Amino acid sequence: MRSIAMSSTETGSEGATRAARRPVLEIDDLKTWFYTDTGIVKAVNGVTLSVAHGETLAIVGESGSGKSVTGLTIMRLLGRRTASTGGRVEGGQIRFHGRDGKSVDLVAVSDAEMTRLRGRDIAMIFQDPMSSLNPVFPIGDQIAEPIRIHKQLDRRTARRMAIGLLRDVGITDPERLVDAFPHQLSGGMRQRVMIAIALACDPLLLIADEPTTALDVTIQAQIIALLKRLQQERGMALIFVTHDLKLVEEIADQVAVMYASQIVEQGPAAEVLTHPRHPYSRALLACTPHGAGHGARLVPIPGVLPSPLQPPEGCRFHPRCALAIADCSRSAPELEHVGADHVSRCFRWRELAS
Amino acid sequence: MTGGPITPVADQNRDQPLLAVTGLTRHFGTSPVVRAVHEVSFTLDKGTVLGVVGESGSGKSTIGRLVLRLLETTAGKVSFAGQDLATLAPRELRRFRRHMQMIFQDPFASLNPRMTIGDSLVEPIRLHRGLDKATAHEEAALLLERVGLTREHLKRYPRAFSGGQRQRVAIARALASNPGFIVADEPVSALDVSIQAEVLNLLQDLQRDLSLTLMFISHDLSVVEVIADRVMVLYLGSIMELAPSAELFARPAHPYSAALMHAAPGSRPGGRRIVLAGEIPSPSAPPSGCVFRTRCPFVLPDCARLVPALRETTPGHWKACIRDDLVL
Repeated sequence: MRSIAMSSTETGSEGATRAARRPVLEIDDLKTWFYTDTGIVKAVNGVTLSVAHGETLAIVGESGSGKSVTGLTIMRLLGRRTASTGGRVEGGQIRFHGRDGKSVDLVAVSDAEMTRLRGRDIAMIFQDPMSSLNPVFPIGDQIAEPIRIHKQLDRRTARRMAIGLLRDVGITDPERLVDAFPHQLSGGMRQRVMIAIALACDPLLLIADEPTTALDVTIQAQIIALLKRLQQERGMALIFVTHDLKLVEEIADQVAVMYASQIVEQGPAAEVLTHPRHPYSRALLACTPHGAGHGARLVPIPGVLPSPLQPPEGCRFHPRCALAIADCSRSAPELEHVGADHVSRCFRWRELAS
Repeated sequence: MTGGPITPVADQNRDQPLLAVTGLTRHFGTSPVVRAVHEVSFTLDKGTVLGVVGESGSGKSTIGRLVLRLLETTAGKVSFAGQDLATLAPRELRRFRRHMQMIFQDPFASLNPRMTIGDSLVEPIRLHRGLDKATAHEEAALLLERVGLTREHLKRYPRAFSGGQRQRVAIARALASNPGFIVADEPVSALDVSIQAEVLNLLQDLQRDLSLTLMFISHDLSVVEVIADRVMVLYLGSIMELAPSAELFARPAHPYSAALMHAAPGSRPGGRRIVLAGEIPSPSAPPSGCVFRTRCPFVLPDCARLVPALRETTPGHWKACIRDDLVL
């Protein structure tokens, strides 16, 4: 067994070297399929993306686009791979570049190795903190658990670290609240606790799946500010899964837009949000009510999200696309470079550059 | 849609508001008493849309239920078309209900999974409008077409529909009794953004074409800005501000309204933002004086002593804040 102890001095240097975009995670042609009674749901089908140290990548898409399954696949939280139901990775690679300079493929590593990585190097938080926290243990125990397991520290040291983490995530009076139970906390406080647990072992990568969707808007603003601060202080990479384009603008350096199990566009957030190079990204931006103003007529995307059991031939967005031509229904476009660090899956992206 | 018997709404004096709410209060439980809604007063003119915004625990959904008398009031008066709802006997209330309907957030929970869409629609049409089966069936088909579905959908069950389609059915069902007034409680919050746009457009069309009076409850300011003529901002069961939509969003007068706008992601990039610290206090132990004072960045000692009155600062623009010197 490898030595578990990872000193904080090693991770401290991560934040300083931000000049070059050094990927911590590279996903290549990932396929996660679910075998159901009605057929194969190809929930993630050919996803390619990367996130660098100290960078925030937002994965944005509507329900059923595959954005959450992408996150769960990285964490290998899709159930046993041998099971006949549940998700199975049917292809592709997830290369994770660890602290020791070694790279592992998260699709191929053993369950034991994955258990060591999960919580220590890669952590995840979810939309609903109440169902992620154990209701019968004080929150302090739940924060201390990963510290004790991954860093093999004793109970008292772990408790002291838990109090420090609670302070870090903006909980006032952490000495008292360390012994509180989840039901005694508000939704915003619970999400802070979840973040404390996720950060307990100073992960290189944090995956946050709609972490503020269940929260009130003033509390959401607090949690977003907290995530931004912690990410900058620790230089960790953040994958932020969301349906909210306005949040992307707020938090992300890079954005990947997902539609029907694929990435249709990835690029610098500021660029994608102001000059989208894929018709779906453009349509998604056009239908949001933000800033539309009183009496505005919103522009819905025509048609409906295709069934994951039978996605359309060719480009998956072509039945709903205003720019679709005959080619779009015949052949599937590949991700094409449309600018620096910016790719689009559209034959006609040049015509969107106006 | 064909009209039913003569309604009190039609008899109503044109000058008086359709809905007049005075001192509306609702407490839940005893020791501690949860103060969900506290002395709320407002009016709603016929054919207009009132947006109701606030965070969890602000009392927005409770107010929606109180004005429909789906909940009994602790104190205060709700007058609909000149009729005090509290004085209606159960039977009268049931007949009165055809004029006022509700649309809920979750279209998966608001339709009976064992009833076809047709049966779900025919039932209220027959109940409220006394039509025979064949006529009611035809009415149901017209209603579905009105909300952008087809008559073929009548025979289907809710499970065959997507979230957006179910919300269309729920809207059709609310329209079945031919009501003049609808409370829509977060009707687009559970929907994806492209579907949300469709349903919002539909609600706007129906409101205009049928001259509906709408109380539109939402936590999402941008949605409210699109659809509402006037907006009421609630905090911990009390009205903070009430103003015409365009006016409120251009010139919020209450610190809480401004903070709510600034908290919306993507607002004021690079600009000055009011960021609220802390959490909403418990409605079972609300702060003395102004309920917002514990989180207000502009708090004065007086705020703890006085409950600020809701006062009209410019025509049509009401606020409950003692400070007039703020630039928000």
